[in-house]
Amino acid sequence: MILHILNRSPLDSRVYRQAMMAMGPDDRLLLIEEGVQGALPQLVRHFEEIAGRLFVLREDLAARGLEGQCDDSVLVVDVEGFVTLTEEADKSVSWF
Amino acid sequence: MSHESTLPEGDLLVVLRHGPHGSLWLREGLEAALVAAALGQRVSLLFMGPGVAALAANQQRGPLEQKGTLPMLEMLPLYEVESLLAVDEDLDALGLAPERLAVPAERIAPTAVAALMARHPLVLNF
Amino acid sequence: MATTEITRYLEVGGNRVGLDPEGYLVELTDWSPAVAEALAAEEGRELTKAHWEVIEVLRDFHARFETSPAMRPLVKAVAQALGGDKGNSLYLMRLFPESPPKVAARLAGLPKPANCL
Repeated sequence: MILHILNRSPLDSRVYRQAMMAMGPDDRLLLIEEGVQGALPQLVRHFEEIAGRLFVLREDLAARGLEGQCDDSVLVVDVEGFVTLTEEADKSVSWF
Repeated sequence: MSHESTLPEGDLLVVLRHGPHGSLWLREGLEAALVAAALGQRVSLLFMGPGVAALAANQQRGPLEQKGTLPMLEMLPLYEVESLLAVDEDLDALGLAPERLAVPAERIAPTAVAALMARHPLVLNF
Repeated sequence: MATTEITRYLEVGGNRVGLDPEGYLVELTDWSPAVAEALAAEEGRELTKAHWEVIEVLRDFHARFETSPAMRPLVKAVAQALGGDKGNSLYLMRLFPESPPKVAARLAGLPKPANCL
């Protein structure tokens, strides 16, 4: 299992499509930095295909005043959870 | 179209997502590949998105005589980097038919990218 | 890339050739066989026909690829141009002790190999 990490918003860039294209059936995607915008109900449709494997970093949501506004389908993790995700993965791949 | 079983394995997969000129990403990715290869690592290169433009024939220096990246690509065989792959949809989007490429690359379907990443213990994205 | 910083000059036949802190030419166009001889003499090396062959291969490599090779590609380029007897690291180490890619690039008037540790 690969942990993919995305820091760009679907509003700004198509990089999220590259990340999704590169994801295997068990791979996970973590949204960080401005990428957390993708977890909002208005934008989460872009990640439909990977429902249940989409994570978002709580600290980056909170910093942007977006905590509590995520779509219910997105799994919110804190930095400790980020570390756990990394440990569970064979490797990480960053998309920026 | 490449079948999954024919995808290369290696120590390092360098993913090149930016085209020549305009940013340093492509050059830096190629440099990382060359350093790893010089140290004896088995390196594969994947060209994706705008990065497939790096393979185009007839590239030149930039308007201010900036070095291009094509000479680095042409040098790869001497570093024993032989596995070059490119996403077929992205090649097609830029009209890069095989005869328009300066350096041959194996066309792979977008669905093969995940398998390719799984076959390399380290993936560096540029 | 060659640095632009000249730390000292080498006198060659009345010309002053600027060298960077590591002894590489600052202006690659300053190179001539006489410059190579002078650089070699400074280090107590004498250039034989065997050295010149390799310097030639390096200069061709740079003309084609716009960079200086690390050890592996140097070995390969020498093998392609001069044959397997010469395209091996032992042979090159004997000709250019310490580090063939670095020493030979310096004598050939080329930039320091970038991806060479």
